[in-house]
Amino acid sequence: MSATTVARPGPEPGPAVPPPPRPRRGGGDEDSIPIEYYGLRRGTVTAVTAACVLFAIFTLIPIAWLIINSTKTQANIFESFGFWFASPFVFGKNFVLLFQNVDGYGVYFRWFGNTVLYAVVGGGGATALAALAGYGFARFRFRGSRALFYLVIAALLVPITAITLPLYLSYAKVHLIDSVWGMILPSMVSPVGVYLMRVFVEVSVPRELIDAARIDGAGELRIFFRLALPLMVPGLMTVLLLNVVTVWNNYFLPLIIFSQNQLYPLTVGLGLWSQRAQNSGNAQIFPLIVLGGLVTIVPLIALFLILQRYWRSGLLLGSIAN
Amino acid sequence: MNGTVTGAPRRPPPLRSMLVQSTWSRRRDRAGFWFVAPFLTLFVVLLLAPLGYAVYTSLYTTRIIGGTTFTGAANYTQTLQSGEFWSGVIRVIIFAAIQIPVMLAIAFFFATIFDLGVAKYGTLFRTIFFVPFAVPAVVGAVMWSFLLEPQFGPFVHLANALGFGGTDYFSSNLILPTIIVIVIWEWTGYNMVILYTALRSVPRDVIEAAILDDTPLWKIILKVKLPMVRPAVVLLVFINTIGALQLFTEPLILQYFQTQAISVNFTPTLYIYNTAIAGGQYNLAAAAAVILGVVIVIISVSSLFVRRRRSEV
Repeated sequence: MSATTVARPGPEPGPAVPPPPRPRRGGGDEDSIPIEYYGLRRGTVTAVTAACVLFAIFTLIPIAWLIINSTKTQANIFESFGFWFASPFVFGKNFVLLFQNVDGYGVYFRWFGNTVLYAVVGGGGATALAALAGYGFARFRFRGSRALFYLVIAALLVPITAITLPLYLSYAKVHLIDSVWGMILPSMVSPVGVYLMRVFVEVSVPRELIDAARIDGAGELRIFFRLALPLMVPGLMTVLLLNVVTVWNNYFLPLIIFSQNQLYPLTVGLGLWSQRAQNSGNAQIFPLIVLGGLVTIVPLIALFLILQRYWRSGLLLGSIAN
Repeated sequence: MNGTVTGAPRRPPPLRSMLVQSTWSRRRDRAGFWFVAPFLTLFVVLLLAPLGYAVYTSLYTTRIIGGTTFTGAANYTQTLQSGEFWSGVIRVIIFAAIQIPVMLAIAFFFATIFDLGVAKYGTLFRTIFFVPFAVPAVVGAVMWSFLLEPQFGPFVHLANALGFGGTDYFSSNLILPTIIVIVIWEWTGYNMVILYTALRSVPRDVIEAAILDDTPLWKIILKVKLPMVRPAVVLLVFINTIGALQLFTEPLILQYFQTQAISVNFTPTLYIYNTAIAGGQYNLAAAAAVILGVVIVIISVSSLFVRRRRSEV
């Protein structure tokens, strides 16, 4: 070694020293202990994979049935083999019918639009409120903050009927019957979201960082938007996904509060079609229920796949939860 | 750290600056309240106030002739004496007692497999199992109603082919197991993902130490990993119990397709729904909703304590 390197301050890694191990990032698959170490019996991998295949079949059977039967006529849904296609192939014809008013019960794509509106505004609003409240509960101690937080958690125990029925009764008094706000505003209250965001802030937004910003004279709002929010993104995406799914799939609230079918979300519309299917004169309602069900789940599955990266890590929240 | 910053004041700070400090932090804490305030406003107006209104309504009775009068506990007495309401309550308790342990066992089994990495294509299976979470209960119930339909349903054809002719999945004996299967189909993946992420966060050195001690794998799973993910299990038991006791959408939709299969007031939530919407007896329904709330609090909170005691033994 030359004198210049010795004279240099600071440690110099020698060539024989192996590079330091990469810092572990929680949850990654690359992290697993090699399965050889477990001393498994021969055939375990095959048996376990077979169990996975069986459960995957159980999981996918209804969805495969839905896809196949969305291409059939009503007669074929009842008469042909359920797990294969039958002619005539009428997917396009069924799809066009989703744009029409079926037997006066309502237009599917109108319901689809409503559902998107409720899920985006309601679910998005719920996430924004949960982010603010979760940050407030996690990083501030104000009068009664503990008691308030426990009150929010306790609200999980309240049955939906005990909230929805009185809401319906009060909507009549404040002219919110058959108003989209009657659906959107209650959807913005997500105690689970607040709970998850609080847990997520605790683990991902360091207190010291906030204090440092305060010493630098940054305002609380600025600290929240500039500093905390970017660190909260994985948790935020998870909570957003959960909230959107909750609103998208909500059945009880819209079932109770809406009397006009133009305001229905998909769940209530499909429920109405199902109710009428048995005694409907319209010969085409069963294919519409099947295809309507398929079109209902496609956007959510797409959303899941797109946001996969986030909820995979974000759902960790549930495990830290104590 | 920087030397100039850590050079702390040598004298205790004067009283005045301490006061300034405390008002400053008090103002800061008040800022915390403003972060919570928007949520809290909606929480009070759209959750607590309706709940209070439900309790209030339950104490009155509205008649077509005579209007609304205060009747005290009358609605509660009537609900408590209703055989239909209680048979529904007992039914959802049985439902929860079977469905939740079975589902959590399946979910834990697969979560463990994916955590250990012993199955091939683990990531693919994990994604597949999670898919039903994206399916609304309405659509799930519709699909299963078709699949299990006694006359033309493909599952009945399958049962016939295997020699179990004439199985009626909607008969009074099988309707509860059928709903259990549907709900397991809907929720196992979600529970599995949460257990999986919990298992991933178990420190690796703990497992490595157990392996070096020649601990058999089943013991590592049940005696080392399971206790470490107990918080997640407790949370799932709690959430699933609350949901199961409010079972509503699946039986209602099955009712549309199989009218004879399910009694009108099959579950307490159906009882409340029918009493309020079909019967127009909002006061009675409100009393039933409050009683259901009390049942939920008792069962879900006591389930937490049972778990806690058992795992401490």
